[in-house]
Amino acid sequence: MPEKMDVKQGTLALMILRTLEVLGPLHGYGVARRIEETSENRITLNYGTLYPALLKLEQEGFVTAEWRQSENNRRAKYYALTAAGRKQLARETREWQRTSDLIAAFLAPRREAP
Amino acid sequence: MRFLRAALARISGFLAGTPAEDDLRDELQSHLDMETAENVRRGMNADDARRHALMASGGLTQAAEAVHDQRGLPWVDGVAADNKYAFRSLRRTPAFTAVVVITLALGIGANTAIFSVVRGVLLKPLPHRDGDRLLYLRHSMDGAGGGNVSFSVPEVNDFRAGAPSLGGIAEYSPWTLTLRTDNDAVHIDVGLVTGNFFDVMGLSPILGRVTRASDDGAGAPPVMVLTYELWKSRFGGDSTIIGREVKLDGKTVTVIGVMQAAPFFPDRIDGLLNMAISEHHVSAMMVQGRTHRMTEMIARLAPGATMEQARTEVATVDARMQREFKEAYNPGSHYRVAVIPFKEALGEKARLTLLLLMGAAAFVMIISAANVANLTLMRGVGREHELVARAALGAGVARLRRLLLVENLVLTLVGAALGVLIAIGGVRLLVSLASRYSPRANEIRLDATVLGFTLALSVTLALLLSFVASLPQEGTFASIIAAGGRRMSGGLRKQRLQRGLVIAQVAVSVVLLAGAGLLTRTMVRLSDVNTGLKTEEVLTMRVQLLDFSGALDKQADALAKERYERMRSEIRALPGVIEAGVGSPLPLSSSDVKFDVKADGKTLASGEGAPSAEFRTASPEYFRAAGIPLISGREFASSDRQGSERVVIVNQTLVDKYFPHEDPLGKRIAWTGDVLRFTPISGEWRTIVGVVGNTRDGGLDALPRPVIFSPFEQELAFGGGLVIRADSNVAALATAATRIVHRIAPATPIEKVMTVAQIKDQSVSPRRLNAALVSSFGILAVIIAAVGIAGVLAFSVSARTNEIGIRMSLGADRGRVQRMILSEGGVLLAIGLVSGVACAYLAADVIHGLLFGIAPHDPTTFIGVAAMMAAIGIVACWIPAMRAARIDPAITMRS
Repeated sequence: MPEKMDVKQGTLALMILRTLEVLGPLHGYGVARRIEETSENRITLNYGTLYPALLKLEQEGFVTAEWRQSENNRRAKYYALTAAGRKQLARETREWQRTSDLIAAFLAPRREAP
Repeated sequence: MRFLRAALARISGFLAGTPAEDDLRDELQSHLDMETAENVRRGMNADDARRHALMASGGLTQAAEAVHDQRGLPWVDGVAADNKYAFRSLRRTPAFTAVVVITLALGIGANTAIFSVVRGVLLKPLPHRDGDRLLYLRHSMDGAGGGNVSFSVPEVNDFRAGAPSLGGIAEYSPWTLTLRTDNDAVHIDVGLVTGNFFDVMGLSPILGRVTRASDDGAGAPPVMVLTYELWKSRFGGDSTIIGREVKLDGKTVTVIGVMQAAPFFPDRIDGLLNMAISEHHVSAMMVQGRTHRMTEMIARLAPGATMEQARTEVATVDARMQREFKEAYNPGSHYRVAVIPFKEALGEKARLTLLLLMGAAAFVMIISAANVANLTLMRGVGREHELVARAALGAGVARLRRLLLVENLVLTLVGAALGVLIAIGGVRLLVSLASRYSPRANEIRLDATVLGFTLALSVTLALLLSFVASLPQEGTFASIIAAGGRRMSGGLRKQRLQRGLVIAQVAVSVVLLAGAGLLTRTMVRLSDVNTGLKTEEVLTMRVQLLDFSGALDKQADALAKERYERMRSEIRALPGVIEAGVGSPLPLSSSDVKFDVKADGKTLASGEGAPSAEFRTASPEYFRAAGIPLISGREFASSDRQGSERVVIVNQTLVDKYFPHEDPLGKRIAWTGDVLRFTPISGEWRTIVGVVGNTRDGGLDALPRPVIFSPFEQELAFGGGLVIRADSNVAALATAATRIVHRIAPATPIEKVMTVAQIKDQSVSPRRLNAALVSSFGILAVIIAAVGIAGVLAFSVSARTNEIGIRMSLGADRGRVQRMILSEGGVLLAIGLVSGVACAYLAADVIHGLLFGIAPHDPTTFIGVAAMMAAIGIVACWIPAMRAARIDPAITMRS
């Protein structure tokens, strides 16, 4: 069993947006599976975490949702990235990279002063 | 943008409700189905697959709730539920609810009403353009009537030239004119102003135009701008008024405009005219006489200039004037000029009274808030069970806090709604009070700002009340529940808080009662003041046959005197009349006509201010008719007439001041000073033939001033009136007397028909209203405080029932238990009384200016107030003490 991780505040939205960018329109189940797989099962998303996050993105206008037939003929609600969502993803990605670079620099083994 | 969009989505989500819930259920179900199918594909059997999928979901209901919170406005849902609950629980305790709501309503109502007055009279921006930059200049000097001596035109011009930070200086000279129409005549109070007046004041016309520079000077035709009030009351708001010609003092004046509604200053006025209407105002005497002071000065700060600059420049100009024109400024009189923001000048008279009332209302608010806090605390103890149970079921501290807040909001808002109703009634009463002190009384409204104040007050109260109630601490629930939830004591901290509140209530009540006591005694002292008249059966009426310019005409003067005599003798012949006299001005009415005086053979010490006296005239019967006692010498006789020896009668104050330890009879005095040359009064020597008693002409609270009476026949008949004395019920004579006057002088307005009792009442009634208002606040405070003491003790008794039962079964008798509770209350009462008296002692200095005939630290009042509070407090303690004594040990021990 890999060590479980909590979803950090704010990161879930980024993961969802990125998933939709890579895989195109997708239902909630698909999003959850993809995130769990990508995290190598270190993250499990229960519905109470996932669906409020999806709804929030929809309210903010970053994704749209509509009911469609799935590949194996089930009815499912599909989420798709909007233009605003793409912009937001780019913005957040940049910010995350900057933050992680910064943190990495801080945590790098320090060279002793000569 | 993004937040707005999200917020809109949430609001619409909140409103949408059920369809969205169905949609979500479908979506979650489809997720579950897909996951189950995937599990089956991985080789689980159908049951296991579904079970695993459900486990991974983390609960469908929880998810639905989480989404629901995200979709809508969860706090609105919660607050709505809290609201429903609050109403229900408040309905269950109607007594508590009623007491709290009424207490709050009284407190909030009083504060709303007073605040609306304070705002209207003191705070609201002036209707004038840039009203904050308007200044009023006040010229004053030492001595009686020196509070405001106005400016002369040369002085105004000096300021115009020497104070550049005053961007514009307007002149305003108060004046009275007779407005004659076909069927009647009235006196109207007007301001004679320079053309720049409206520009400086920042006032615009709502109809026509206002005065301008071309209206200045002697050659300009007289024009009038009506005040909004006169236009409405006298001309019915007629919009075709512009260009109409009216008769004022016999001259034709064109109405050129109607001014926007604005507060009167410095006194109530009906219209504003250019100077040309009065020959006097454009004469060399007025325009060049440095001591001819009858102009008020209003200025506007120049752009960029500051108050300090203006004050410095004005002081410099003033000092230079006094150096250059020594003869116009007696050094002993200490002439000085104050620069006052116009808004402050308008609120000057009202400020102290309003601050007093605001303070009293705030105190009532403190007491009622303290009472409600106490009630809430007690109720909170009773609810400990309920709150613990709620906490145990998962309500967090924040949630409980919110519940309390909603309950308290319901209480304060209902209280506020009732309070506003009380305020609507109160404001009506207060407007009549304020109109005596402020020209802005008609601006008092219960407007949005005032209601905002009320709302803010209620919400603040609710917040405070919610935080005095202590909630079960998170983490201590378990121990409380383990203890069986029987911890009903209320805890030491809470009891200490309750006691502190009771002490504060008593103290504040004492302060209010002390204020009420001092003001009531002031009023009583004032009505006890001897007017100087021997009887109240005196009726006076002002009948001004001649205006100022008319009085200068010898022939008109003689005719007027003859008509006055005819009125006098006809009224004298009415049944019931004991005596009737003619004079000017009327007794008990104030006069601005005063001049410097000199006495034969006396010289002033250097630096001593010139003595001055009021100039009054009286017919031989005047003193007897008014009931003014003759102290020595003789009254005027019919032989004291034009051409005979100049004689005068002086009042006792003049004798005390200028002839102490001497017999004034036969001494000679004369009017003197530079101002005299602007008047028709001569500076000849006059012989004192009589001394009369003092009368309170400037109001009951104003000290009598030195007065010199001249025979009515020997001076110009300007501004006369009639004084009538009857054996009983003089008021009933008014109709017959005015009929006679009207027959003899049909075109003359008859004004101020008043009995001495009415004049007296005019002086007393503002104080009476003050005293009544503060007293009612005081009584209210005492009642609330008494309820507070009784409530806290009763609560303490019920919390100590067990203990008292034990004490009694161990041998304590009823008297002892009663004493125990009484002393518990007595300690609170004593501390409250002592701190209250101390606070009142300090606070009394503040209202010093509103008192009359009584020291601010009057011991009788303070002792009386303390005794009254103590008595009421003891009664309030007695009730719970009696109850404690009736506790049956057998019953309490068993329960």
